[in-house]
Amino acid sequence: MEFGWSQEQEALRDRLQAFLDASLPADWEATASLSPGSQAVTDFSREFCPQLADEGLLCSHWPEEHGGSGASAWDHFIIGERLWEAGEPRGPQYYNVNWIGPTILAYGSEEQKAEHLGRMRTGNVVWCQGFSEPSGGSDLAAIRTRAVKQPGDDGRYLVNGQKIWTSYARLSEYCFLVAKTGDARRDVSVFLLPMDRPGITVRPIYSVVGDGDLHEVFFDDVEVFENERLGPEGKGWEVIRYSLDFERVGIPRYALAIKTLDRAVAELQRGDAFVAEAEQDAALALTKCEAARMLVYEVVDKRMRDRPDTGSASVARFATVCAERAVADFVLDWTPHLFTSDEAPMVATHHKRAIAAGLAAGAAEIQLNLVARDVLGLGV
Amino acid sequence: MDFTLSEDQQMLMTGFEGLLSNYRSAPHGQHGYVCYSPEFQQELRDSGFLEIASQPGFGLLEAAMLVEEAATCPISVEAAASMMIGPLVGDATGPVALVWHAGRPVRFLAQARTLCLFEGDDVLVGDAAPRDIEALDSVAAYPMARLRAKPAGLERLTGADAAAIRRRAQIGIAAEAAGLMRGALDNTVAYVKEREQYGQPLGHFQAIQHRLAEDAQIVRAAKLLALRAAFEDSDRQAAIACLYAQDAMRKVIYDCHQFSGAMGLTLEFPLHLWTYRLKVLQGEAGGRAAQGRVVSRETWGASQVGAAAEPVAEGVA
Repeated sequence: MEFGWSQEQEALRDRLQAFLDASLPADWEATASLSPGSQAVTDFSREFCPQLADEGLLCSHWPEEHGGSGASAWDHFIIGERLWEAGEPRGPQYYNVNWIGPTILAYGSEEQKAEHLGRMRTGNVVWCQGFSEPSGGSDLAAIRTRAVKQPGDDGRYLVNGQKIWTSYARLSEYCFLVAKTGDARRDVSVFLLPMDRPGITVRPIYSVVGDGDLHEVFFDDVEVFENERLGPEGKGWEVIRYSLDFERVGIPRYALAIKTLDRAVAELQRGDAFVAEAEQDAALALTKCEAARMLVYEVVDKRMRDRPDTGSASVARFATVCAERAVADFVLDWTPHLFTSDEAPMVATHHKRAIAAGLAAGAAEIQLNLVARDVLGLGV
Repeated sequence: MDFTLSEDQQMLMTGFEGLLSNYRSAPHGQHGYVCYSPEFQQELRDSGFLEIASQPGFGLLEAAMLVEEAATCPISVEAAASMMIGPLVGDATGPVALVWHAGRPVRFLAQARTLCLFEGDDVLVGDAAPRDIEALDSVAAYPMARLRAKPAGLERLTGADAAAIRRRAQIGIAAEAAGLMRGALDNTVAYVKEREQYGQPLGHFQAIQHRLAEDAQIVRAAKLLALRAAFEDSDRQAAIACLYAQDAMRKVIYDCHQFSGAMGLTLEFPLHLWTYRLKVLQGEAGGRAAQGRVVSRETWGASQVGAAAEPVAEGVA
């Protein structure tokens, strides 16, 4: 056990920073203040991600046969940490590299890997995640969208139902869709569904988290085929759990939280208003961010060793939610004008992104259920 | 960055567990506020573990690991200051007492071979004659005593030397608090699995599960922050780890007592042996306010508006 960085890891940081300095435009912060699913950020991601891929920094942790360089999970995380802090110039494509791609790598057929991983690693495809529904949010097993196998030998299913809160759906080309394929509670399957299939309707939901982040998606007799199913029929729960463990710590949220805290403190210092009480609140918020950082690092380290996870992703996620709240509250308490003005666009942006932290990837209370069960052994 | 113990670290922890195994439970019939064992202290001294930070291949990180682990035992022992500060003050075997305010209660003062008296930014180091020390009865689960008079002949350390002692003290508090919280939480989790009300174990109630799950997150984070602080041995990380522990322990202490019910109020139930040490650590080294100022200074620099002065040691009448 040790807490240092290798020379190679420090060099990677320097290389990434040089790349960002050269590739992010002067007005990037204004663009980044829009949501990752906005048209502007999505368009930018289609320019930025291919450049990042050319640098070998988009999917470097993927195996070499799939276009990666076999870099460690740590290298990928170091990249993700800096990019999230910079406002996530990968836009919605962070989904692909963080967890959809790795899940396809783990469960996909060779045909699926060939079809999807190639576009992901060149940085030019947008996916959405079809999990939550009106009847099943945190209780994902309560979903009702159903994929019914059709008679005949063409392996055809028809999907009917509705998803909600679907990020990036309007501009997505594919959906990582979970649907019921049997009557048992967890009899679900995952499909890699092209979003241009007839019968799909996407409607935006206008929200306080920003434009392009939330949608309703309706499926009306949408065709999907056996060769588009990820993993065996009815075994989707295992696939989902695998992907969620990536998603729960996929975003190093504490990185933007710390940057936001720094910005708010700088504002107070400029106004000679960084009083003792503010110092104390800022220091406490920072410790919560650092706590989240260490717990997320621990999960990354476990992932690198391919060790089975026993609740640590949920521990880290809950700590992250606490950190996001502490920083958001600090801004509202001490620099409220930054929340309601465009003086520091990323401060308001942080708030938009932070407010969803306790809901996405399973509500914070679901994480606590998992910690109680898997870490403390307090099962019912 | 590596969260897995190396082979050497594993061997170290296995060897240490061999020593701790005799002290994993309070003696039967334990009814005192304090459960301090001179034998435990002596065994720790004789084993050489207190000198781990100076051993080839090991350092402060391993010392913090041992401090954290030792604190999970219900029996108190002075390890943190000996391991963290001993090498700085030429006392390899301790115990070392940290006197934050002369005249006020101090942990392990009566047992200590060396004391560090904090006075403004300076630290006075030396030993105290028994006549200068008054043992105290207290509800704390540490043996407490106070200085009757400031000992003569203490050596004054200033500047970086004094700052290093303060920093190591913070790391020691953070590591010890992390272990104490873990001990208290483990004891409480075991209790709520057994204690039944309304026809089921307390641990089946979600209201209890959630708070203990929050505490599990705190306990794990406190340990990692303390270990990282020991690894870096920097003012910033030391203050971050200490502040986190001193802030978060308040919730852990409350929850553990709440879910242990009236049993947690009794001396036969060992919970107080962890929580009533934590309560002493909560305000040490100036408490959250002092740690917050260091975190702020080391992170954002600049002069602060309206900041209170650093706590200074009080004179002894």
